[in-house]
Amino acid sequence: MGCHFTKGLPALLLSSVVVCLIPSSVSAQSPLSKEELLISNDPVGHPGGHLVVSLRSEPKTLNPVTSIDISSREVIAQMTGDLIHINRFSENTEPALAKSWKVSRDGLEYTLKLRRGLRFSDGSPLDADDVLFSFHAYLDEKVNSPQRDLLLIGGKPITIQRMDADTLVFRLAQPYAAAERLFDSVAILPRRLLEQAYNDGKLSQTWGLDTSPQQIAGLGPFRLKEYVVGQYLTLERNPYYWKADREGRRLPYLDQITFIFVPNADAEVIRFQAGDTDMVNRLSAEDYAALEKEQTAHSFHVYDAGPSLEYNFLLLNLNSSLPAQSEIAKKQKWFRDVKFRQAISLAIDRDSMIRLIYRGRGTPLWTPVTPASSFWIDNAIPHPPRSIDQARKLLQQAGFSWSRNGELTDDTGSPVKFSILTSASNSQRVQMATIIQQDLKELGVSAQVVSLEFRSVADRIFRSHDYEAAVLGLAGGDTDPNSQMNVWLSTGNDHLWDIGEAHPATSWEAEIDRLMEKQLTTLKPQARKILFDRVQEIIAENLPIISLVSPNVLVGAKDQLGNFRPAALDPHTLWNSQELFFSVTVAARQR
Amino acid sequence: MKFLVRRFLHSVFLLMGVSLLSFSLLQLTPGSFFDEMQLNPQISRATVSRLRAEYGMDRPMLQRYVCWLESAARGDWGLSFAYNAPVAPLIWARARNTLLLTGLALPLAWIIALPIGVLSAGERYRWIDRGGNLVASVLLVTPELLLALGLLWLALRTRWFPAGGMASVVPIKHGAAAHIKDLVQHLFAPVTVLVLGSLPVLLRHIRSAMVDALQTPYIKAARSHGIPYLRILFRHALLAASSPLLSLAGLSLASLLSVSLLVEVIMNWPGLGPLLLEAILARDVYVVVGAVMLSGLFLVCATAVSDVLLFIADPRIRTEDLA
Amino acid sequence: MRLLSKKSLLLMSLVAIHVPILFSGLFAPYDVAEQNRDFSFVPPSRIHFTDAHRTLHLRPSVCSLENSGFGQYHENRDRCFPIHFLIMGSPYLLFGVFKSNLHLFGVEAPAKIFLMGTDLYGRDVFSRFLYGGQLSLLTGILATALSLGFGVLFGTLAGYYGGWPDAVIMRIAELFLALPWLYLLFAVRAFLPLNLNAAAAFCLLVSVIGIVGWARPARLVRGIALSSRERHYVLAARLFGGSDSYLIRRHVLPDAYAVIITQAVLLIPQYVLAEVTLSFLGLGVGEPTPSWGNMLSTLQQYQVLVSYWWLAIPGAVLVPVFCSYLLLASELQPRRTAIDA
Repeated sequence: MGCHFTKGLPALLLSSVVVCLIPSSVSAQSPLSKEELLISNDPVGHPGGHLVVSLRSEPKTLNPVTSIDISSREVIAQMTGDLIHINRFSENTEPALAKSWKVSRDGLEYTLKLRRGLRFSDGSPLDADDVLFSFHAYLDEKVNSPQRDLLLIGGKPITIQRMDADTLVFRLAQPYAAAERLFDSVAILPRRLLEQAYNDGKLSQTWGLDTSPQQIAGLGPFRLKEYVVGQYLTLERNPYYWKADREGRRLPYLDQITFIFVPNADAEVIRFQAGDTDMVNRLSAEDYAALEKEQTAHSFHVYDAGPSLEYNFLLLNLNSSLPAQSEIAKKQKWFRDVKFRQAISLAIDRDSMIRLIYRGRGTPLWTPVTPASSFWIDNAIPHPPRSIDQARKLLQQAGFSWSRNGELTDDTGSPVKFSILTSASNSQRVQMATIIQQDLKELGVSAQVVSLEFRSVADRIFRSHDYEAAVLGLAGGDTDPNSQMNVWLSTGNDHLWDIGEAHPATSWEAEIDRLMEKQLTTLKPQARKILFDRVQEIIAENLPIISLVSPNVLVGAKDQLGNFRPAALDPHTLWNSQELFFSVTVAARQR
Repeated sequence: MKFLVRRFLHSVFLLMGVSLLSFSLLQLTPGSFFDEMQLNPQISRATVSRLRAEYGMDRPMLQRYVCWLESAARGDWGLSFAYNAPVAPLIWARARNTLLLTGLALPLAWIIALPIGVLSAGERYRWIDRGGNLVASVLLVTPELLLALGLLWLALRTRWFPAGGMASVVPIKHGAAAHIKDLVQHLFAPVTVLVLGSLPVLLRHIRSAMVDALQTPYIKAARSHGIPYLRILFRHALLAASSPLLSLAGLSLASLLSVSLLVEVIMNWPGLGPLLLEAILARDVYVVVGAVMLSGLFLVCATAVSDVLLFIADPRIRTEDLA
Repeated sequence: MRLLSKKSLLLMSLVAIHVPILFSGLFAPYDVAEQNRDFSFVPPSRIHFTDAHRTLHLRPSVCSLENSGFGQYHENRDRCFPIHFLIMGSPYLLFGVFKSNLHLFGVEAPAKIFLMGTDLYGRDVFSRFLYGGQLSLLTGILATALSLGFGVLFGTLAGYYGGWPDAVIMRIAELFLALPWLYLLFAVRAFLPLNLNAAAAFCLLVSVIGIVGWARPARLVRGIALSSRERHYVLAARLFGGSDSYLIRRHVLPDAYAVIITQAVLLIPQYVLAEVTLSFLGLGVGEPTPSWGNMLSTLQQYQVLVSYWWLAIPGAVLVPVFCSYLLLASELQPRRTAIDA
């Protein structure tokens, strides 16, 4: 019957992927040249120490090819290396395993030079074949790696050619702006350990949590030491890591990192407060305020690392696929009127949201681009202040009127009522919806908050489109607009307000499509910025989604932790784990 | 003997029913495990549907059920989507911790509840009754979640015991004795919450069963014979009240796996709770079915045990089956 | 004599608890959804009997609050306003039918009286507590009635007849105990229309919980029925030609009476508080409709619990409410045995 529980696929050969393979046996035996370490410019720290951090849920796998959840990726990021890396602090790309790269004039060819003499965490050498193997694995359709779609440019996979032992050429089917950012987080795998599993079609089952440490190797600052089911996972220092500090001491400083698994945000904060963990990520404003009061008494500090990439918004259902006689389709008549959307946006009290929900640690938004994307944000976008009068005027112009008891009615005389869907697991968004509901009452609109559990919300929004309005949030992984293509293109998966459009439903959506496609193939950042500014203007004018607020990145860490520099990009705290260190006293005590 | 065979057959049917019905229930719920991937702007719809197909989620329910039975027979109990691994080892590794916790808490709760319940039913101990009533009603209206948070607050303020978890991450001392001491310290808070949480229900039931038993003529007769009051309470009346209490004990044993789930989540105990909560919310269906089957198994065992005990303890029932 | 006074005392306290909840519009000073965003997390208002010059007044007063930073307030003793009784305020519907705007007490703007403080949005917790009681008690009693009704019915049938009806009913009961009903709730919630009023949606959900909860009481009642039908006087009554329904009504059910009453008083608070767990999973009453369950579930956040103690007052007030139920149950129990004996 071919049950799906035995995932044993027939042995697959590499031939299914279009890549040029050059016999690799030569380089594997070639003598190792001198190690080309990357020298870090950051302050020098002390070696030693055991860092304990918490993960909001248990990691599911240690396999970089199949991992998808945040916890797994956070652990894997510590164990693996990528060719080109995005510096989470500066938000720019920087050399990693590739010491340099060149882009051809037409933007179609990337030539990467690998660092020489590097070793995986088990001591085996890295060469170009490992890189080739890794990209085959990610691009293989049968492996079903969630990373695969990232590496498809214009619908075609990137092709890779090995020029010599440390030179690789990546070819793109069409020009792609800032393509070097795609290399970030594509972990390079040890061919020696994984090739057999790959050939057997079992790559996706390898490197589960129960794998023994000898079976796993990577190029990250740490390597697997121990995993205890349900409790914690410990990584130890990778003695072969390819970065060193200014004094030539090989990084990382820390001996060990332990990730303890906590099931919810409260437990995470409590464990930090109890001193069990040394760091805490993604604090809510409430927790931040509470910890702030205690930071003098305990030896920790909380940090406000500034705006994040998360944007929360009110989504009105503009789906064009709904049957015309349905209840929602009748309401869409209002939603489709841009004046109605503008009136709603004007009525929302964003300042109260910031004050009450984020305790002032957030930014009001009028487009989905947050100040964290300092380069891309269009500062010319107007920020109209809340005005019920103005909102009423707009509604009047759009043909709405008010009944004697103050209810807003449309031109057919039916009252304006709709429900606002939100995920109950995110209390901040429920709070936003509650504030909006009260704000809209001032316009005579009666809105009802419906909070459901997350999957039910997702099912309504993505599959059945059975909702009227919703408060949602998205967080980009990168500041670059390319990471949000799927939201803005009318054919994109995450074109939330009208999912599954075949053609842009409005002229402004067509214009956004055109601009976004154009910026994708434009190579000059400044030229891209002009195009993307125009996109932001169109969004601010037409409000396909009504942007609300963005929280700041709030984190906490023990005082003794050196080089602690929280960043706006994920992972906010552990991105520079190789440089973190404990001041001497603690490191000595923990020994 | 016939009794036992019949019970066994019933149990097998029951477990089949549980598995089939939980499959159908899961079918009814909106959303699937793969929905979350759609929120990720970097994953295409084609990849998501390929993954769905790979895990067989595009097939009809009955076919998936048969596949699952096959896998259960093999001892895998299905595949977790999230972990991409068989369900049985995932669940078992965590169920052990849950059993440790609840296996300690339940007997403890009974040990505390029995004397208080019995004494408060005896009219000579009115003050115990009143005190027990008050404590029971306070505990009854305090959700276990709040009890747990209260204890965590105490832990943070006083540092008398750890604020969650099952073991210290960086152990201070090594060796078996230090390890056990560490475990006991970590057990304190969750066990306390579970005991306090189940006390009011136990107390009420014990008390009412005892009040009933004390009204029976033979207890009155025993009292007129001058048997010491405490002996009457604990020896005779308690035995007379045993039949509803045994049913209750069976039920509390059956709910062993489920009672502690939320407490585990709050208290950061590495049991089934966090796994199951995540699986429920993420629609990792086979993990949920696996956990349901495990608690079904517990239920079957517990009811069987309590029926057998009932059979032994109550001669009135025994007559029926001997006939 | 002593018994009578105790019972009337109990009755009086039950009335005292339930009348304000029943007439919550009259007793609550504010509308439940009214947000005062400048008064987020205000502690309970101090009620003064003296003014700024320490002169005693019979009429109590509250002073206006001034906001000094988030969640920090101080009273302005120079601007105090007397509490008025039976004044006109925000309009409400009594029992959902009668329009009124009469409130038992209130205070003139700009001062506000928050007997139990305010929540994040600056809503009056006291008003929400009273209104919330309506929904919570209604759903609690409804669910209890449903599960006890079905439970007692099937439990007695199983226990009284024994044999195959017993086996079938008890195996079905075990099935019900073992199934993951949470999923049914997810499914039911998903099928409910979005425009359904939050309170109605929750009532429906709780009814489902009540119905699927029949198995527990059924098992307990069955145990009693099983032994009670073998009692000699029951056997004797049967010998004298007592019909099954007579025997069940007259002998079996009275035997189970204590268990049923105990179950009832235990189940009502359990169902009321079930919402705390349900809202953990997104199945609670939606904002801004108040209920005891969702008021308590805001306390699930550790920092809220620690920072804003007054949000726990509703929880503390529930203790005497359910305590009086327990007392009522204990009062009811011996009376039956006294008659029977």
